[in-house]
Amino acid sequence: MTWTDEELVARSISGDADSFNELILRWERPIYALAYRQIGREEDARDVCQETFLRAYRALGGFRGQAKFSSWLYRIALNLCRDWVRRERRTPVVQAPDDVDLLDLAATREPSESIEELVARKDLSRSVERAMKRLPDEQRTAIILKEYHGLTFQEIADLVGCPLSTVKTRLYQGLTVLRRELARDGAAAR
Amino acid sequence: MKDTTDIRCTYSGDRDEVLVAYLYDDIEPASRASFDAHLAACRRCQDELAALRGVRSQLGKWAPPEPMFATSHQPPAASHWWNAIPAWAQVAAALLFLGVAAGIANLDVRYNNEGLTVRTGWSKSAAASGVAQDTSAAKTTSPASPVSAVSELAPWRADLAALEQQLRREFRASVVPGTARPLNASIGVSDADLLRRVRTMIDESERRQQSELALRVAGALRDVNVQRNADLVRINQTLGLFQQDMGVAVLQNKRKVDYLVERVSQIK
Repeated sequence: MTWTDEELVARSISGDADSFNELILRWERPIYALAYRQIGREEDARDVCQETFLRAYRALGGFRGQAKFSSWLYRIALNLCRDWVRRERRTPVVQAPDDVDLLDLAATREPSESIEELVARKDLSRSVERAMKRLPDEQRTAIILKEYHGLTFQEIADLVGCPLSTVKTRLYQGLTVLRRELARDGAAAR
Repeated sequence: MKDTTDIRCTYSGDRDEVLVAYLYDDIEPASRASFDAHLAACRRCQDELAALRGVRSQLGKWAPPEPMFATSHQPPAASHWWNAIPAWAQVAAALLFLGVAAGIANLDVRYNNEGLTVRTGWSKSAAASGVAQDTSAAKTTSPASPVSAVSELAPWRADLAALEQQLRREFRASVVPGTARPLNASIGVSDADLLRRVRTMIDESERRQQSELALRVAGALRDVNVQRNADLVRINQTLGLFQQDMGVAVLQNKRKVDYLVERVSQIK
């Protein structure tokens, strides 16, 4: 039987540790991906991910179900990412090695992909990372939550605490900047 | 692509917000219909929408590196490959595994005057089979402790017997008339229970076999040590006898030499 997030939360509160493990299994990758795209460091993103679940577990009793569990989790993760950037006093860093190691790349190659295609895909991925790094925090967060996590405008507005129209504006502005940056970076947005 | 930003857009509402809502298909139906109508006539919006779709396509190429979670878990049980195998086939495989494992568990290692001997349960002598048959007969005549009597000689037989009884009980339970459970639910529950029990029994059997193997290895080592000590004693004795014989021979030779020397001196 598949439990909903909220049912698993209720079972966790009543002492069922397996239920919280199930929640971790369900959400660790999205939370990690969110953290990585926000702060750009794999190791720190993993730390943020772990800390997110730790805080969620400690605060589980305070979760009243007024929002979706995932939204609650995203909010914790976003706050942690914000703290991380503030604490480190640096802009999000995207690790993009200058040299392309074909052997390393080949390990991630998809079966039907040639080396040239693989390099092009990696180049494009790094271009996107660099362009995203140049966005203001609010625009980047809005794009990440919409593009990679599929949240509705309203959910994003609730999550970051701003009006609905502001979310749309941030998205539009962010996408426009990305379009320009990607075109400048050689990966012209088509 | 030709720059169309200088083309005038006549959309009456907040164009940027509607454009992005349209782009993500997160828009009210009425607004969508209205923007659809506008889009058909506005070159600038068409171009910008296409460009932003291109940006979204580029964004889709950005994947974070694969994380190495400390909390990496096994995939849920539902995705295990063995779930695709029918329950009866799993039970048959489990029985086969038990049989093969039992043969291995009957490993018999001996070290004696004839040298090192390794035998498995499949090559046991007829006498051993006779004992097993006798035990089986005893099992039928003394139902008070059937499993323990068998398990003393071959613990895996107890597992097989218990498994057989379990399967019979499950089978009888599944054909009892008047059970009102839905067929699928009945099969699902009993299969899951049955598989869990079979796996538990296999685990227990493996543990018992490992203990038995350890005992047998320890016994073999003890036999080797005993035999080694006996060999050493025998070697010492043989060596002592040899030394004794040598001593006697030397003494006899010495006496002969002395006698010859004495005779030679008398002749002179």
